[in-house]
Amino acid sequence: MSPGLSYVVIRSHALMGDLLTPGQMRALAEKESLEGFVEQLADTPYGEISIGTEGDVSIALEKVFYQKFIERTMGIVDLAPTKIGDFLQSYYYLRFEVINLKRIIRGKFSGIPIPQIMESLIPIMPYMVESYEDIVEAETFQDAVRRLEGTPYAPLISSLELSEKYDALWPVEIALNYLSIREILKSLERLPQSDRGLVRRIVQVEADVENFLVAAKQRGAREDAHSPEEMFPVTYGIGPDVLREAIEADDIRAVIQGLNPPYDEIMAPLYEGDVALIRSRLRQHVYDIAKRGRAANDFGFNVVMAYLVFSEIEKDDLVGVAWGKTQGISAEDILKYLAIPNFV
Amino acid sequence: MSATTGVRPTKGYLMEMKRRIGFIERGTEFLKLKRDHLAKELTTSLDVLKGRRSKLLEDLRIAYRAVTAAYISLGPTEVRSQASSIKSRLELEVLPRSVMGVRYPYIKVEKEPQITGELDITLSEAAEKVLGILDDILQLAEFEARAERIADELGKTNRKVNALENTIIPSYRQVIKFIEDKLDEESLEELVRMKLIGGALARRRE
Repeated sequence: MSPGLSYVVIRSHALMGDLLTPGQMRALAEKESLEGFVEQLADTPYGEISIGTEGDVSIALEKVFYQKFIERTMGIVDLAPTKIGDFLQSYYYLRFEVINLKRIIRGKFSGIPIPQIMESLIPIMPYMVESYEDIVEAETFQDAVRRLEGTPYAPLISSLELSEKYDALWPVEIALNYLSIREILKSLERLPQSDRGLVRRIVQVEADVENFLVAAKQRGAREDAHSPEEMFPVTYGIGPDVLREAIEADDIRAVIQGLNPPYDEIMAPLYEGDVALIRSRLRQHVYDIAKRGRAANDFGFNVVMAYLVFSEIEKDDLVGVAWGKTQGISAEDILKYLAIPNFV
Repeated sequence: MSATTGVRPTKGYLMEMKRRIGFIERGTEFLKLKRDHLAKELTTSLDVLKGRRSKLLEDLRIAYRAVTAAYISLGPTEVRSQASSIKSRLELEVLPRSVMGVRYPYIKVEKEPQITGELDITLSEAAEKVLGILDDILQLAEFEARAERIADELGKTNRKVNALENTIIPSYRQVIKFIEDKLDEESLEELVRMKLIGGALARRRE
């Protein structure tokens, strides 16, 4: 192992101490009020947070948690050897940029004012595009997509035809998802063969679960359902045949029971129609993959990846808790959808 | 000030007063009919409201739980971003309707939002649950506004009936009695005067 990797692995081990424990996360969710939540957060590595009095507090807190996660990622990227640093930057920045592009395209599609679109973006520097402002300033959403010409997102332009055909955004969003998965898997080639498994497992299980959820959503609109080839350009553990079966099934329970582990367990909340719980279970599964990966090689790249995966799940849980606290949601209802306190 | 202050005790004024009190009494009867009808409407509305409200509150709780789950799962910014991508928004028209002259709003759904295409399944499920009870929410809002306005009008009508029965009509009756007494007094005086004049003339002829 190179000295650079050794250092970043040791640093990741040390930084894991900064992550919130399941007990701390539970205590934050159980706080009576938003003020109590912010006070309790001050006793964690997040420290004192000033959220101001104007605007939506939950969105201000969401930005703080994203910022913290981006700082953690950058801290690791700066220390990591070039290839690993490039991969991590690609993995995280690409995913955030894809979210930002989706928000810009949605905003342009529905005619949201430019400042409001800019406000909704994750605070990162543009990664594979020149500038977000240039895209946001486009007249129409088609124009915004066309402004991606000359960037790695250029293949999105061809999805405009389908988007115009259905007067919908989903073809562009699906193309964007496909492109990001392809780019992430391509960037995996920068890593040694032995380090690729963990990331591949995470990316693939996430893509499969998202595909299945899209298929489940199409069930109500069977006549209008689009072809699986159009909707699922990339599949892994759950193939197009199963997805088609899910779209056409009268009872999705049978399809879910026929899925291989871990998908059957992740998808089980669909029986009761609690779709949000599927995402919580997916996060727990990703947490588990990272934990097992780290246990398998406690002194390699997996430790770095596990630290960032745990950190991202912590961010997602905190965003949920913060929103719940601003809305006065009961601790029980919040805790149900968190990954870290429920991880067994 | 007495009700009889400034009253002209003439036959013409008495007839005018009698015409007016007849009109007021007829109006009072109409108002009493309106009051009874409004009271009946209100009782029926409140019975319906009680049942509908508790059912809607339960449905709302389920829908709100789904919205909460979507927010916790996706985060507030993502939910807002996805929600903003819905092109076809809810469009309502509020029209006036009337029962016994009481105007209340009637809500007509012009266009329902098309939520199927663009939303993530978590948000789509929540939106479907909210959309499923949208008609019930609007109907209940309409019904509550109707009951509120009927109750308001019932109060006003009751006050009018009470004022007419306890103040206006008695004061008119007092004025009529005053004029009748005055006119009786005057006609008695006139009779006495005529008798005295008749007596005086008879004595002069003798």
